[in-house]
Amino acid sequence: MIDLTRVVRTYGEGPTAVHALRGVDLGIDQGEFIVVLGPSGSGKTTMLNLIGGIEEVTSGGLIVDGVDLTRMDEDERTEFRRSHVGFVFQFFNLIPTLTALENVQLMAELVGRNHDDSLAALDAVGLADRADHFPGMLSGGEQQRVAIARALVKQPPILLVDEPTGSLDLDTGRQVLTQLRSVSDRDGRTVLLVTHNSAIGGMGDRVIRLHSGEIASIEPNERPLVAEEVEW
Amino acid sequence: MVSILHRKLRRDLRQRRSQFIAVIITIILGIALFGGTYDAYQNLTDSYHGMFSTLNTADMTIAGGQTDSIVQGVRGVSGVENVTTRTVADVPVQVNGDHKMLGRLVGIPAAGQPLIDKVDILSGTYPDASAPVLIEQHMAKHFDLKAGDTIQVLGPNGWVDEKIAGIAASAEYLWPAESRQQVIPSFDDFGIVFADESSLSAVPSAEAHTEVLVTYKSGVDTAALDRLIEDFAKNNGATNATPLADLPSNAALSEDLSGFQEMSLMFPLLFLAAAGMATYVLLTRLVLSQRGQIGLLMASGFKKRTVFGHYLEFGLLAGAIGAVIGAPLGALLGNGITKLYTSAISIPVAITTVHVSTIIMGIAFALVAGALSALAPAMRAAKIMPAQAMRGLLPAGKGGATLVERLVPPLRRLPARWKSVLRGVGRNRNRTITTVAGVIIAVTLILTFWGMIDSIQMMLHEQFDVVNRQSAQIYLTTPVTPSEVSTIQAEPGVAAAEAVGDLPATVSSATSQYHTEILAFDMNTTMHTFIVDGKDVPPPSEGVFLGTALRKELDVKVGDTVTLDIPDAQVQTTQTVSGFVEEPFGTFVYISAGELTALTGGTDVENSVYVTYVSGAQGETMRNELSALPNVGAFIDSQALKSMARQYMSLIYAFVGIMLALGGVMAFALIYNTISANIAERASEVAMMRAGGVSRRTISGLLTSENVLLTLIGVIPGLVIGYVFAYYGLSIYSSDMFTMSLYIRPTTYVFTVLAIIVAALLSQRPVLRAVQRLDVATVVRERSL
Repeated sequence: MIDLTRVVRTYGEGPTAVHALRGVDLGIDQGEFIVVLGPSGSGKTTMLNLIGGIEEVTSGGLIVDGVDLTRMDEDERTEFRRSHVGFVFQFFNLIPTLTALENVQLMAELVGRNHDDSLAALDAVGLADRADHFPGMLSGGEQQRVAIARALVKQPPILLVDEPTGSLDLDTGRQVLTQLRSVSDRDGRTVLLVTHNSAIGGMGDRVIRLHSGEIASIEPNERPLVAEEVEW
Repeated sequence: MVSILHRKLRRDLRQRRSQFIAVIITIILGIALFGGTYDAYQNLTDSYHGMFSTLNTADMTIAGGQTDSIVQGVRGVSGVENVTTRTVADVPVQVNGDHKMLGRLVGIPAAGQPLIDKVDILSGTYPDASAPVLIEQHMAKHFDLKAGDTIQVLGPNGWVDEKIAGIAASAEYLWPAESRQQVIPSFDDFGIVFADESSLSAVPSAEAHTEVLVTYKSGVDTAALDRLIEDFAKNNGATNATPLADLPSNAALSEDLSGFQEMSLMFPLLFLAAAGMATYVLLTRLVLSQRGQIGLLMASGFKKRTVFGHYLEFGLLAGAIGAVIGAPLGALLGNGITKLYTSAISIPVAITTVHVSTIIMGIAFALVAGALSALAPAMRAAKIMPAQAMRGLLPAGKGGATLVERLVPPLRRLPARWKSVLRGVGRNRNRTITTVAGVIIAVTLILTFWGMIDSIQMMLHEQFDVVNRQSAQIYLTTPVTPSEVSTIQAEPGVAAAEAVGDLPATVSSATSQYHTEILAFDMNTTMHTFIVDGKDVPPPSEGVFLGTALRKELDVKVGDTVTLDIPDAQVQTTQTVSGFVEEPFGTFVYISAGELTALTGGTDVENSVYVTYVSGAQGETMRNELSALPNVGAFIDSQALKSMARQYMSLIYAFVGIMLALGGVMAFALIYNTISANIAERASEVAMMRAGGVSRRTISGLLTSENVLLTLIGVIPGLVIGYVFAYYGLSIYSSDMFTMSLYIRPTTYVFTVLAIIVAALLSQRPVLRAVQRLDVATVVRERSL
């Protein structure tokens, strides 16, 4: 599903160059729930952005959902993001003038989904009854769940999630993690979740640890935890 | 610590340099325009006053009445310095062989310069017996006359050759206005000739009158003395007593001066308001984006005062840079306007001084505008609570259906992206208000200036194509007879001819008196259109029509009576005001020819013939042919007059055109700043949408639509305010000499709106380029505003 071959990502040139990823090799299968852990600056968000086509690799091979991202220009990568991946960020970035449902519809319209699909996506994250609420009327956890519904409504095979609980308390964070896990378990989508919170690692089918732009370890979980079992 | 904050200031500005530069450009324009127009006003005032002082111009000019009594009486008035007399006569003059025109002969002593109303001899010498006349410089320039040339003056026994001694300028005729009714003369048809008093004794007494010239001692209460002498003169039969300020030439130039003075305050204020608004938008956005930094500074022990001062510095710096560049530019502009203006209307003295006071005022305005615009954002920064700010969370934006959606329910079914456009308009009240206010100012500026240009063009059309329908006015040397009208009508190229009386007159009400001309037209005239209350009506069958300005000047209304004194017809009568005619140039009294003849006891007093030409007739050929007819003393070509008026108005066009161009630049700068702030606030949303696969084109389309919608919202109030400003702008120029009505072409509204939309679209381009280059990866990593 996702293949990274000796992926290098460098920012800048010469002595001030920053090597965010230094030859990463990684393969991820369909339906896997992968948690990427690492300290700040380890390259985890960079990896997520490369897989999502937000950034370009400096060198190496990157194939996502059968698409070779190294041969694409910006417009092609935009098309790729539209149909192959969904993003969830730490900051929800909902449009405050649109209701929860309309925020989801904004993305649904992009790929020709209808009103019912948007409502179903909200229902899937347990917010059908909050569809007509504006972001200012929702809690942080609810806003993050709207952001997940917004990413899911396109029905992308891959969901890329960056620090989804970074702005949330434990209970709210658990609700969000439950939704994300079910995306993988129920819908068979691939979920790649990056976080610096090692407690969340227990939820992954595999845990990938990054350090200084390199994969330090890849650990499979025999029995992934459910969200309620996670403590931080 | 402070130096680091200064470094931060510099870098913050560098990051937002395009917006900061836009603010500075607007301030520069405001200050330069203030300095330019105010210096021009001061320079021109100094130039005129310099001339008045050097040439000892009369403070009061009295015409008619019992001259000896007036001279004796006025001499005894405390505060009066000198009193002299002179002869003035409007007589036919021939130049360059056969060119007939009306010449105003102004008497000067043979022995040397007069005590009052001296002349400045620009070339040649003072007149003597062999060369008894000086030609006023405008006339000399128009006909290329030099010392040694000859003109002919019509005397009782025919044309008399007069040799030109020299070319002169006069403070009294800085601009050679014939009268307050004819402040824009056609140089083809009217000119000033200074002639030895003794040579004027040959002029027929009907054409000549004596004027008493009075100067005041310095330091006297001029207004009080004016009133005193005016009353005294009129009690002694004077037909007219004109203070210096009301002299036709001075009054016409003063109209422009007061225009400069008003504009030097009104328009720079608009520019500075716009600059202030742009600074406010820029700083508000800066403070919002730096909430976390401000929280950190305050949590670390920075005083509120320091934070306040730091953000206030942005405004002060913008003001200071604007002032440093704008003030000298203003001084240059002021000198430029002065030279351009004085050279365009041939004023011999142009004092171009750099006024330090104007520079200081400009700098003060710029600093105050900068500081005021930065005040609110700086106060907001100083009030930020550190704990809240450092959490990095902003209060959630408000959501809700718009009023439009509530009023038009189908809009609720719009695609979400279009709903976001619709609701984005009211999303951030401050941003909406500043953008809409910016658009309003921009529309106001453009419509004001464009409206003034339209109105001036309309005014010329009204005067020369609608009101005055004659192609030419021919003055005869004797009262017009029916056979002379027939002769003129029979001339090839003449379509119609009518005898018209055109005589000096004084019209008085219970409270006031006004010196003008009375025009007597046949009831079936085809030479003049009388517009009363917006309707085209025939001449008054009873009573008189008055120019609109007299409603206020004499404090009369329709149905009131006024007293008419027409010395040339030896008529003094009381007449009812039948209506007020709406005419752009001059303020006349109209009466039917039959009524005037009845008042004179059957004596014909028509002294001129109005003619219209057949289509295709050549103006110059017609002038030559008609001027050559017997008894023709002077000839006034309407087209020449129109062309002169256009030339005069071209000065106003140039000025208004410059303001229009600058208004356009300012509109662009202002819209650029508000719209760029609008787009910058959306960086995180844009990044999210880009990450979600929304194309750059779609995002650009959405942002553009929202900004165009905001622009359109500002357009309607802008058009209304622009209309009011244009109305006010024109009213500055309105007087008994000009009646300016606001007229704005429908296409002007359309083009103004299009210009603003184009400015909005153009101003988006650099910002949309930034959207294209947006680093999605960087923005999605952090909460960006």
